Amino acid sequence: MKAFRGLLIASFKQFFRDKAALFFTFAFPILFMFIFGLIYSGEGNLSYDIGLVNQDISPAGAATAQGIKSVPIFKVTEGVLDTTLAEMRDGKYKAVVVIPPELAVNVSRGEVSNVKVYYDPSDMASQTILPVLRQVIEQINQQLSQRPVLLAIEEKSISAHQFGGMDFLIPGILAMSILFLGLFGALPMVEWREKQVLKRLGATPLTRSNVVFSQVFYRVVLALAQTVVIILLARFVFGVNMVGNWFLLFGMVILGTLTFVSIGYLAIARARTTESAMPVIQLIQFPMLFLSGVFFPIEIMPSFMKPIVAVMPLSYLGDGLRQIMVEATPQNTMPVNALVLGAWFVVSSLLAIRFFKWE
Amino acid sequence: MVIQVENLVKTYGQIRAVDGITFQVNRGDIFGMLGPNGAGKTTTVEILEGLRVADSGKAAVLGMDITKAAAKIKQQIGIQLQAPALLPLLNVEELLKTFASFYHKSIPVTRALELVGLQESRKVVVKNLSGGQQQRLSVAMALINDPEITFLDEPTTGLDPQARRALWTVIEGMRDQGKTVFLTTHYMEEAQRLCNRLVIIDHGKIIAQGSPAELIRQNFTEKAIEFETVTPIPEATLKSLPGVTRSAVEDGSTVIYSNKVTATIAALLDFTEKDRTYGELANLHIREATLEDVFLKLTGRKIRE
Repeated sequence: MKAFRGLLIASFKQFFRDKAALFFTFAFPILFMFIFGLIYSGEGNLSYDIGLVNQDISPAGAATAQGIKSVPIFKVTEGVLDTTLAEMRDGKYKAVVVIPPELAVNVSRGEVSNVKVYYDPSDMASQTILPVLRQVIEQINQQLSQRPVLLAIEEKSISAHQFGGMDFLIPGILAMSILFLGLFGALPMVEWREKQVLKRLGATPLTRSNVVFSQVFYRVVLALAQTVVIILLARFVFGVNMVGNWFLLFGMVILGTLTFVSIGYLAIARARTTESAMPVIQLIQFPMLFLSGVFFPIEIMPSFMKPIVAVMPLSYLGDGLRQIMVEATPQNTMPVNALVLGAWFVVSSLLAIRFFKWE
Repeated sequence: MVIQVENLVKTYGQIRAVDGITFQVNRGDIFGMLGPNGAGKTTTVEILEGLRVADSGKAAVLGMDITKAAAKIKQQIGIQLQAPALLPLLNVEELLKTFASFYHKSIPVTRALELVGLQESRKVVVKNLSGGQQQRLSVAMALINDPEITFLDEPTTGLDPQARRALWTVIEGMRDQGKTVFLTTHYMEEAQRLCNRLVIIDHGKIIAQGSPAELIRQNFTEKAIEFETVTPIPEATLKSLPGVTRSAVEDGSTVIYSNKVTATIAALLDFTEKDRTYGELANLHIREATLEDVFLKLTGRKIRE
C-alpha cells in the first residue's frame, strides 16, 4: 500500500509538471467547448437572403408577396426578374421566388399558377429554404381557395427541457476527453519502457500489478476531475445543466476511462518508442471521434456506416453520458451501454495483459 | 558468502551471452566483473537482480535461490542500471522518497544524498541535473534501502574524469562501511583501484579470477616497458633483446615485458641508435604490469571503451 501510494503521488507530481499533458487534459476540452459555443451562438439570428420578383399586380399577388416576406428567417428584397437572377448568381440571394402574372385571373378561373423558385441545390441552405417556402405557399393557397383546415400539426418536444446544440455537444466533449485521457494515458507507459523506468521499477520489490493499478487509478482520478471541470463550465458559461444522477455519471465516466485506458495499453503493448506509439493511438482515436456520434448525430450518417458506429465503444459512452447529463433520447438502453463498454474493457485488458511487453 | 553462482547459462538465439560461469562473492567484497562490451556482464548482473531468468545453472543471493525468493531478495539489494531511468519531472528528494516507499526499510534521504555528495541538489528537478549528477543520483537510489549488496552496472561509463573520481570516492565509502558491492566495468584502471576481488569475462566465459594483484602476479613476473617509434620495430627483433618475454603493438605504441629492465632498455637504446629505419624513440617509460596487460595477454586484444 505504501509503495502504491508512493508511485501514485509521483505520477501526479509528474503529471502536474508536464505542461503538454495538462493542456490536453484540461485546456483542450475547454477550448473545444468555447469554439463550439461560438458556432452555436450564431444559430439564433440566422436568416437567409431571398430575392422576390412579383409579376402580378392584383391584390392576390401582393398577398402572396406579403406572405413570403412575413417569414422571420427570410430577408426579402424585391426586384425585376433579370437583375434579381443576376444578383443571385453573384451570391446575393440564396433563392429567388417569382410570382407569375395574371395570378388573380387564374385563381378566379380555378386554374393553377406556378410560383417559380430558383435555388442552388449544392447550397445546404436550400435544404431549409425549400420546405419553408412550400409551407408558406400551401398556407397562401388555402387562404385563396378558402378551403377549411381539417388537419393540423401541433409540435411537442419530448425532452423535459429546451434542447440546444450545446446540450448535444457537452456530453460529446466529455466523452472525447475521456477517450483522449484513456488512449493517451498509455503513452507515459511507452516512455517508461523506452527509458527503462519499467525495468528500474521491476528491480525494486514493487509488483507489476502495483505499477499498472497506480497508473490506471491516477487516470481515473484525472477523468473525474475533468468531468467536474467540464460540467461546471457547461453550467455557468453555457447554461447547460447536468440533470441526471451524479453517481450514475461518475460510474459511467469511470467505466469509460477503464475501457479506453485498456484499449490504449493494448494499442501500445508492443510499441518500442513514443514516436511509434503515437500514430497507432491516433489511428484508433480519429475514426472513433468522428464516427461514433459524439459530435454528429448518428442519423445523418449513411446506412453502410451504421455497423461501424454500432461497434465503437465511444458511441455507447457518448450515448450514456448524453442520457444521464441532458436526458437526450436514448440510442440504446443504459444496461446496453454499460454492457458494451464493459465487454470492451474486459477483452482489451485481457489482450493487453497477454501482449504487453515490459522491456 | 553473499552470492553464489554455479554454471549459469543464458542464450539469446544463437548467442551464448553467459556461457556457464561459476563464481562467489564474499560479504564486504568490492567484487568486480570486468570485460569488454557484450562480454555478458550486464546479463549476469540482471539475472542476479531478478530481471532476467537464466536458461540453466544455479544462483543464490544472500543464501536464497533467485528463482524462488526474488521478492525477498529485492528488498535487500540495491540496484543501479546502466541507463539512469529516472522520473525527469520530480526533484531529487521526491524521487528518492518515491523509491524509499517501495521498501520495508530505508535510510533518510539526506543520508543517501550525503553518501553520493548530492546534498546541494536536493531540490533540483532531475532533468536539470548533469549526466554525472544523474549517475550519482541513480547510485543514491540504489542505496536508499540500506542494501546488503549493491549492484552497480558500469556506473562510470560516459562520465568525465572528474565525475568518475567522485563516484569512486562514493564506492570507496561503501567499502569502508563493510558493504558488499558488485561492480561491472570495462575500465581496468577502475577495477584495479576499487576491487579486492574480480573476474575477467569474455564471450560469456570467465577467463581469470582473483585479486588484482594476484592476477597480475600470476600473469607477469616482468615489468612493462612502453615506447613509441615512427614505424613499429618487428616482434622478432624485440624478442631478441635481453630479458624480453613478450611484446605487443597497439595504436603505434609498443609494449615489451621484461624481467631484466635495465639490460633491456640499454639494448633497446643501443639498437635504435644504430638502426635508424624505425625513427626516433619517444615516450619511453617503465611501469608495473596492470590488469590491462593481463587482459591483453589473455585475449590478445586490448579492452576498449
